Amino acid sequence: MIAKLAWIQFLRQGARAWLNVAVTGLTLVTLIFMTSLLNGFQLQASKNLKSTDVGGGHYRLPDFDILSPTEWEDQTFSPPPFLKNLSDTEKAEVLVLQGQLFPNRRLYPVQLRGIDLKQKLLDLPLEPLSRQENGNEYIPVIIGTRMSERSRLQKGDSAVLRWRDRLGVIDARDAKVIEVADFLNPRVDEGVVWLSLDRLRIMTRREGEVSWVTVTHNLGSDKHLEFLEPATLMSDILNLLKQDRRNAKVLWAILLFLAGTSVYNSQILNVFKRQKEIGAMMAFGMESRTIIGLYTLEGTISGFGAIFFAFIFGVPFYYWFQSVGLDISHLSASTMPVRERIFLDFHFSEMLWITLIMLSVVIFSAWRPVQKIARLEPTVALRGKGL
Amino acid sequence: MMHRACNRKLYFNSKKMMTRLFFLAIIFVTSLSPVNAQESNIDAKLLLTQVDDNIWSNTKFIQGRLIIDNGRTVRTLSVDNWMEGVERSYSHYTAPARERGTKMLKADKKLWMYTPRADRTILIAGHLLRQSMMGSDLSYEDMSEDKRLSRVYDAKVEKMETLDGVLCAVLLLTSLEEDTNYQTRRLWVDPEKKIILKQYLYAKSGKLLKTVEFKDYFKTSGRLFPREMIYRDLLKENTKTTYSFDEIQFDVEIPPEYFSQSILKR
Repeated sequence: MIAKLAWIQFLRQGARAWLNVAVTGLTLVTLIFMTSLLNGFQLQASKNLKSTDVGGGHYRLPDFDILSPTEWEDQTFSPPPFLKNLSDTEKAEVLVLQGQLFPNRRLYPVQLRGIDLKQKLLDLPLEPLSRQENGNEYIPVIIGTRMSERSRLQKGDSAVLRWRDRLGVIDARDAKVIEVADFLNPRVDEGVVWLSLDRLRIMTRREGEVSWVTVTHNLGSDKHLEFLEPATLMSDILNLLKQDRRNAKVLWAILLFLAGTSVYNSQILNVFKRQKEIGAMMAFGMESRTIIGLYTLEGTISGFGAIFFAFIFGVPFYYWFQSVGLDISHLSASTMPVRERIFLDFHFSEMLWITLIMLSVVIFSAWRPVQKIARLEPTVALRGKGL
Repeated sequence: MMHRACNRKLYFNSKKMMTRLFFLAIIFVTSLSPVNAQESNIDAKLLLTQVDDNIWSNTKFIQGRLIIDNGRTVRTLSVDNWMEGVERSYSHYTAPARERGTKMLKADKKLWMYTPRADRTILIAGHLLRQSMMGSDLSYEDMSEDKRLSRVYDAKVEKMETLDGVLCAVLLLTSLEEDTNYQTRRLWVDPEKKIILKQYLYAKSGKLLKTVEFKDYFKTSGRLFPREMIYRDLLKENTKTTYSFDEIQFDVEIPPEYFSQSILKR
């Protein structure tokens, strides 16, 4: 009976009630959109990082640190049999060393990355290198579009490449850019010069050595090597997104506050305008607790209505959005490993949490203003002078 | 009549030509033979040892200036340098103001650098020694290296060549050790004075990387020492670093604390 009464009273509120539903529903749609967009961003960034660099994790020497280039030379190893025997689809051997490129006689410190050209684990556009593996006239290299822009080197250009071998002997030769490739991941683009692993090994007298081996998954521990999970290798991006999520919570709070305020405001108005009605209910013997419950339920209906509204409005909106995506090409110059468009990535548990949190805010906002009813005297309320 | 005159003319012309060729040949032979003789007389290894003997000593003190020209700006650093053997050296930068008090100590293949502004000592380990020193054309290694060339390289005389009016023996140095930075060097040496006038440093592939010019030799402590060494990194454009020597002392006694880390303090 209470529920039916609450529903009738809710409908009697008219436009005010539907506005509440719309505001709260739009808030819910926006909250789910924001969260899913960040998920989508993270998904695409992780996917790009994994397909171009991280794979399913790296086996490295424990002291290897990609941020300490001066120590790379000391942190190479010969892969043990359990890594060596993996097929080309299960591993990618990478050797990273320091070098110096001199485009137009300007010094440009670079990371020389040699990769096994037969590998099929990572998706890197390095195929042209295998066509020129045997030439000795120059060192064939591939650079990324960002690197090309910074170093002003184009396809077909040559520049002197200087490096040191395992014993510290200085060597230099002409390197020719045989391709400018579009790498999705800036980590494998900026400041990186790609060449064949075999060639880099010969150049630096590091036969059979690697800096790391990318694998599909953890293959167990080795006493000399350390396995780094993808999450560890992507920790910088993940931490950045975590920070973004923290920042997004401010917007979350504002939106929830607005939704709560609209319900709160309606409830205050309800109690104020309907004092005589409350007085009559009391006079007929309804307990103030029941009346509070009735009014709270009335306010809460807008919360449920919002969920329904979000479903009706949100589903087509999300469906449309998934067909167009969000253009983030402006980020291509940044260090983010994402390009072009991102799409929403929905997580059911997150959506449920968002809905429950919003519903809690609405219930609280509906309940808090009607507490005054408990203090009302029926006779005073009947005269409309209780509040 | 006409024909006879022509023949006579031809005869005289060919005779004149032959005489000219004969004199030219004599000039050519006389000008080359002493050089060739000199080239064959020079013992490259001995000459390199003599060059080392002139320039090398167990301990050395150098007061000098590093003039770093990167093509756009020129910076001058004043530095006092104490060197002992191949492994140990200590440098104290005295100017300009922003570098004053900077100290570098090289010992046991490690380099420590003290910067007074931060009041901190930083260890520049192994590979950092190979980086450019303070934006110059020298690496930390080049700056603190003082190996006897005759011990590290095999030498042979390639040719004789006149450089700035001095007849020089061009020595091609090939490293005897696998881990020498520059596997090949080319030196222009004055065989009379046993001094280097120019040096080319090559990559393993044979690419010319750096040149060093030795200028204005002066006599000090019975040795000849250049007033200036001009380094040029040929892979860079318009850069040069001049190491100018204001004072040099050989076989000086260096207090042991100069090669101890305790010197790296304010």
